[in-house]
Amino acid sequence: MLKSKYILGLFILAIFLSFPIYIGKYWLHVSIISLFYVMMASSWNLLAGYTGQVSFAHAAFAGIGAYVSGIIAIKLNIPPTIGLFIGAGIASLFGLGLGMLCIKMGGIYLSLTTLAFSEIIRLIITNEYELTRGTMGLEVPNLIGFYSKTIYFYIMIAVSIIFLLIIYKIIKSDLGTSFRAISNDELAANSLGINVIRVRIVAFVISSAMAGFAGALFGHYLLLITPDISSLSQMFLILAMTIIGGMGSFFGPIIGAFFLETLSEYIRIYGEYHVLIFGIVALIIARFAPSGLDGIYQEKISPKMAKS
Amino acid sequence: MNSLFFMYLTNGIVMGIIFALSALGVSLIVGIMNVINFAHGELYIFAGYISYILSVKLGISFYFAIPIAILTIFIIGILIEESLIKPTYGNDMYSLIITFILSIVLQNFALLVFGPFPNKPPNWISGATNMFGLFRYGNQRLVSCLAAIGIIIIVFLLIKKTWFGKTIRAVSQDRETASLMGIDTSKVNMLSFGLGCAIAGAAGVVLAPIFPVTPLAGVEISLIAFIILVIGGMGSLWGCIIGGLIIGIVQSFGAAYISSGYKDIFGFIILILVLFIRPSGLFGRKAL
Repeated sequence: MLKSKYILGLFILAIFLSFPIYIGKYWLHVSIISLFYVMMASSWNLLAGYTGQVSFAHAAFAGIGAYVSGIIAIKLNIPPTIGLFIGAGIASLFGLGLGMLCIKMGGIYLSLTTLAFSEIIRLIITNEYELTRGTMGLEVPNLIGFYSKTIYFYIMIAVSIIFLLIIYKIIKSDLGTSFRAISNDELAANSLGINVIRVRIVAFVISSAMAGFAGALFGHYLLLITPDISSLSQMFLILAMTIIGGMGSFFGPIIGAFFLETLSEYIRIYGEYHVLIFGIVALIIARFAPSGLDGIYQEKISPKMAKS
Repeated sequence: MNSLFFMYLTNGIVMGIIFALSALGVSLIVGIMNVINFAHGELYIFAGYISYILSVKLGISFYFAIPIAILTIFIIGILIEESLIKPTYGNDMYSLIITFILSIVLQNFALLVFGPFPNKPPNWISGATNMFGLFRYGNQRLVSCLAAIGIIIIVFLLIKKTWFGKTIRAVSQDRETASLMGIDTSKVNMLSFGLGCAIAGAAGVVLAPIFPVTPLAGVEISLIAFIILVIGGMGSLWGCIIGGLIIGIVQSFGAAYISSGYKDIFGFIILILVLFIRPSGLFGRKAL
C-alpha cells in the first residue's frame, strides 16, 4: 500500500518535471504561479491548519520579502540569490515581533492584529514611492541573471519541494505533535508541559520566513512587484486555496493551489465574476466540507477504493 | 491655541463618535458569541447602498428609507447567522474564516451590482454652522454625529435596561448557567448577531451622506472597528466609545500635524502600544 503510494508520487513528479517539454510557455507560467501559491498556502496551513492561528499577514510577509530583496538588489547591488535569504530573514523578524506582541492574548487578537499589520504594510509600500515606487511597481533584477521560464520552473519546483519537506518534517516531529496538541486543546497541552506561547511563536516565525522567501522568489520572477502582492485579496486567495484543498492536511494546500490557479485561468474570461466565484466556492466548501477536497477524498473516495 | 486647533479637536470628536458607532456592532457580537464578524464593514456599505437606492432611485423620503435599510440588514444578519455561523459554534477560528470569505464575496457582489463608483444618498440637511465663532463646520456632519449618539444611547438602553438586554448579558457572562435558567441561547445568538449587524447598518445609513459608499469602503470601516475592539477591550461597550474617541482624535491631529497619507497608521501605533502596556484592552474583558 505504502509502496504504491510512493510510486504514484514519483510518477506524478515525473509528469510534472517533464512539463516544460510539452506544455506551452503560457501554461508553464501558470505552473510557476501555482508553485508560488503552493509555497504560500502550505506555509500558511502550517500556521492556521496545524496550530489554529489564523494570520492575515501572510501576504504582507511575502510583500516584505519581495520588496526587501528587490530594494537591496537595486540600491546596494546585492545579488538576488543572497537577497532572498535577507528578505526571508526580515520577514521572520517582523513575524517574531508581531508574534511576541499578540500571541499570548490568543487567536482572535492575532487575527485582528495581523489584519491591521497587513493593511499598514500595504499602506507603507504605497506611500513610500521614493523607495518602492508605490503603485507604479518596482522593477527588480532577475534571479539568475537571464530570463528563462524553464529554469525558473525548476527552481520553483526545487524550492517548493524543500519547503514541503521541511513542513513534513515539522509536522512529523515532536514540534508538530505539540502544534496539534495546542490546536486541539490549549489548556490540556499547557498542563502537559508544552510551552504554548513559545511553540506558537516558533510556528509563526517559520511560516513568515517561508512567506518572505516565497515572495522574494516570486518577485524576482515577475520582475515587477506592486503593492498588490501584500494585499488582502492576495491573502484571500491563499486562504481560499487552503480551505478548498483542506486545512490542516498536508496535501490540501497543494491541491487547492493548483485547483484554484488552474480554475482561475479558465474563468478569467468572466472578468469581475472571477473572485466572486472563488469566494462562493470557498464559502460552500467551508460551510459543508470543512476538511476540503482532501477531506472529501479521504472520507468518500478512498474507503470505496479500498473495498473494491 | 488657535481656531484650527479647535477645528481639529471637534473633527476628532465627531469622527470618534462615528468610529465608536461603527465598532459597536462588532463589539456586541464578540461579547456575546465570541465571533468576529469580518463582514461587518460590508454590511455597513450595503445599508448605505440600500438607503441610496431607496432615496435616490425610488424617491422615498429618508424617514422611511432609513428604517427599511436597517431592517433589511437585520434580516440579512439573522440569515447569515442561521446559515453560516451556527455550524461553527465553539470553533472561534472557523467562524472567523467563514466571515472573512463572506466579506470578500459581499465586496465583489457589491462591485458587480453597484459598480466601482462612489454613491451617496442626499444630505439630510445643507449648509454649515459657525462653531463658537471660531470656524465653520458642515451641518450634515453635526447631524450625523447627533444621530450616532442617539443610536449609541438606544443600544445602551436596550442592553442595560430591557429584559432582552438582561438575557444577552446573562448569556455573555455564563452561557451554560444562562441556558440552565431557561434562556434559549441559540435564539439569543441569532437575535444578537442580527442586532450587531443592524447596528452596522444603522452606522452605514447615518454615515453614507458624509462618506459616500464604494464596494471597498467596508474594509476601512472593519479595520478601524477591529483596532477599536482591541484598544477598548473585546466585548466592552464602554471600551468601544472610549477607543473610538481616542482613534478619532489621534487621527484628526495626526493627519493635521504629521502626515495625512499616514492617517491610518496612527491607530495601528496605538494598537501596538495598548498590546504592550495593557494587552486586554483599556476596559479588559468582562461582561457587557
